Amino acid sequence: MAEQAYTVASDGETTGEEKSSSPFPEIAIGIDIGTSQCSVAVWSGSEVELLRNTRNQKLMKSYVTFKDEVPAGGVSNQLAHDYDMLSGAAIFNMKRLIGRVDTDPIVHASKSLPFLVQTLDIGVRPFIAALVKNMWRSTTPEEVLAIFLVELRVMAEMQLKRPIRNVVLTIPVSFSRFQLTRIERACAMAGLHVLRLMPEPTAVALLYAQQQQQNVHENMGSGSEKIALIFNMGAGFCDVAVTATAGGVSQIRSLAGSTLGGEDILQNTMRHLLPNMDSYISRHGIDEIQKMGLLRVATQDAIHKLSTQPSVEIDVDLGNERKVYKVLNRKEFEEVNQNVFEKCVSLINQCLHDAKIEVDDVNDVILVGGCSNIPNIRNMVMDICKKEFYSGMNPLEAAVRGAALEGAVASGVNDPFGNLDLLTIQTTALSIGIRADGNSIVPVIPKNTTMPARKDVIFTTVHNNQSEALIIVYEGNEKAVEKNHLLGYFKITGIPPAPKGVPEINVCMDIDASNALRVFAGVIMPGEQSPSAPFMEVRMPTVDDGHGWCAEALNRTYGSTLDLVTVQKKVQH
Amino acid sequence: MCCKCNSSVIIPRTDPCFSFLPTRPDPHPNIISFPASVSFRVRPGGPHGPVKSILNDTVQFSSEPASFYDLLGIPETGNLLEIKQAYKQLARKYHPDVSPPDQVEEYTKRFIQVQEAYETLSDPRRRALYDRDLAKGIHLAFSARRRIGLEFDEQMEDKSEWKSRWESQLSHLKKRSMYKDSGDNMSWGARMRKQRNETS
Repeated sequence: MAEQAYTVASDGETTGEEKSSSPFPEIAIGIDIGTSQCSVAVWSGSEVELLRNTRNQKLMKSYVTFKDEVPAGGVSNQLAHDYDMLSGAAIFNMKRLIGRVDTDPIVHASKSLPFLVQTLDIGVRPFIAALVKNMWRSTTPEEVLAIFLVELRVMAEMQLKRPIRNVVLTIPVSFSRFQLTRIERACAMAGLHVLRLMPEPTAVALLYAQQQQQNVHENMGSGSEKIALIFNMGAGFCDVAVTATAGGVSQIRSLAGSTLGGEDILQNTMRHLLPNMDSYISRHGIDEIQKMGLLRVATQDAIHKLSTQPSVEIDVDLGNERKVYKVLNRKEFEEVNQNVFEKCVSLINQCLHDAKIEVDDVNDVILVGGCSNIPNIRNMVMDICKKEFYSGMNPLEAAVRGAALEGAVASGVNDPFGNLDLLTIQTTALSIGIRADGNSIVPVIPKNTTMPARKDVIFTTVHNNQSEALIIVYEGNEKAVEKNHLLGYFKITGIPPAPKGVPEINVCMDIDASNALRVFAGVIMPGEQSPSAPFMEVRMPTVDDGHGWCAEALNRTYGSTLDLVTVQKKVQH
Repeated sequence: MCCKCNSSVIIPRTDPCFSFLPTRPDPHPNIISFPASVSFRVRPGGPHGPVKSILNDTVQFSSEPASFYDLLGIPETGNLLEIKQAYKQLARKYHPDVSPPDQVEEYTKRFIQVQEAYETLSDPRRRALYDRDLAKGIHLAFSARRRIGLEFDEQMEDKSEWKSRWESQLSHLKKRSMYKDSGDNMSWGARMRKQRNETS
C-alpha cells in the first residue's frame, strides 16, 4: 500500500479548523457498511438521525471506482448509470472479501464479479484489481474500505461541523477476529477510531430495546422481559439473533450467522440464466466484464421485480449472437435458490436452539436487511415463527440506528428522558479453542458465551518425554479444523520429561470488556510447587496474511510431535 | 463451564483484567449500597457484612463465598422472573460498558460472577442441584476450581500454604478430570456437587 494519499489528513489538521465548535462530548457515529449499501447515523441529542450525502441519499452504494487519478467512492461519486459500476474500474463487495485468503470459497465465488479476483489457492491474499486504462491496478479490500470510509467521514464532518474520530461499526456475525482486525485496520487508514464493532443483529436488538423502553415510559408496555428473534439478511450476510430485553438491557441469548445473502441469490440466478457463466468469465477480458455487468444488472433488476410480480422477462445481449432471454417466474426463482433458503431456515433453528427457547417464547419477530423483501424469505420466517412481523423499524435503517445508539451510549452521552439508558450484553458468535485430540478443535470459550468471559481447559501431552507443546488457536463453529479461522499459535517449552499424560497443561482464554482475546498457557507437574516454565500470555490474533499457509506448514513440519489431548480423553483411554 | 476469577490464589499478575488491585478506599458508593452483590467477599451468614471486610477483600477473597442468591440479592424462593430482573439490574451496574472507567477490571470480575449465578439459577436442572447442595450446607457458590498452571502469584509467599493449596487444587483437578464428561454443560462447581450427591 504505497499510495495513501487518500487519507484525509492528520488528526491535527482535521481538528484545527473547527476546534471546540461543539460543547458536547464527541459522540461516536454509527456506520453500517453493507455489502451493497451503507449508511451513517448519529445521535442528534434527542433521537437518531441518518446523515445524507450531497445528493440527499441516506443509503449510498458501497463501491470505490479507480477510474480517475483519485479513487472515488459511492458517497461522493455519481454514476451515470449502474453499468458504470460494472465497467471493471469499480471494486465492490469488499465486505465479502475482507480478511479472506485465496482458498476461501467466498473468494472463489467472487470471481464472477466485474473486476479481477485471482487466486493461487495457497492460502494467501487473493489478487484483487480494478481495470484502469486497460491495466490492472491492484488493491486490497482494506484499501477500498478505507477510501470509502474517508468519504463517509468527510460527509459526516461537513454535516455535523465537527471532526469525527470515534465510530461504531456494524459487522456480520460470522466475521472472525482476524477479519475484525482487517476492519480496524481499514478504519485506522481512514483516520477513524473504532469504539465498538457490533454484530448487526445486536445493533438491531439495541434499537428494539430502546423502543421497548420508550413504550414502558409511555405506559404502553408492561416492562417485563420480551424476547425477540432478529433475522437480518442483506446482500452479503445472513445473521440471526435472539435477544431478551427488559429495562433497556438487551441480553443477547444467541447468535448465528453465515456468509449468505443477496449476492448468492444473484449468482445462483445468473448461473441459471447463463449455465456456462463460469467458463464465459474465466477469460476476464474487458468485453466479458462488460457483458457480465449487463447480465448482473438485468438479473438484479429481475429479482427486485419478482418481489412484487409473479414473473419477469430477462433479455440481455451478450454479443457475438449470444443472447440470454428468459421469462423467469417466482417458483423457478425459488427453486434455483432453494439452497439459500434452506440455510436461512437452519440458521434460525440453530439460533432458537442455542438460546434454549421455543418458538412460542418469542414475543417479536424482526425482519431486517435488503433480502427481507423477498416473499419467500418472509414466508419462510413466518412458517417457523407463526407470528406477524414487528413493524416498528425501517428494515434498511435498523442496524445503523442501533449503531448510532451504541455510539452515543459508549461515548457517555446522557439523555434526560432516559432514551440512552441502554446496555447490550454481547455473546461470542464463534467458539474459540485449540487444536487437540488429534486433528480436532477443543473449544475453550464455546459459542454464545456471554462476554466478558474467562474459561480454561486442561490438556496433557501425547508423547513420552514431550518437552514442547504447540498451542494453535482457532475460532469458528466448524468441526473440521481447517474450516475454522486460525487466530495464532505459540509454543509451550520446557515441559519436564515425564510419561505422556502426566504434565497438566492449562489453557485459559480471556475476553475482556473491549473484546480483546488473550490466551494463557502453562504447565504444572504433579509434585511440583510452581509452574515448570513461565506461563505464556499471548494476545490474539497473532497471524497476519497467509494464515492458511501457516497451518499447513505447521502440520507439515511438526506433525503430531507437539500435540495435546484433553485430560478427559486421557481418562477414557 | 465456569468462571474462576474469584479465587485469589491463581491470578496471574500480568493480567490487567484480573490483577490484584491494591487495597484502597472504595470511592464508589454503589458497591456499598449493594451488599448482596458483593456478598461473596464476606463471610457466609453475613450477606450484609461490614463494609470493612468488603474493602479488605479486595485483595483477599473469602474462601467460603455466600450463595448465588445472596449475590443476586434475591431470596432462595425467588422465581425465574426475579432472577432475571436481578440479573439485568446487576448487569447494569457491573457490566464493563457502564462501570466507572477506573474500576472496569474489578467490575468485569463481578459481572462474570453475576453471570455464573444467573446461568446456574435460571436453568431449572442446575438450580435444583445447586439448591440441594445449599441445603446440605455446601457453599460452593463459585467454582472453587483453581487455575492450575497459572498460579503465579508472588504474594503467596507462605510456602506451606502454597503447598496445601496446591494439593487441594490437584485433587480438584483429578476429580474434575474424572467427571469432566459427566455433565455436558455444567460448571465445575455444579459437577462437583452432582458428584458429591452421587457418592454420598
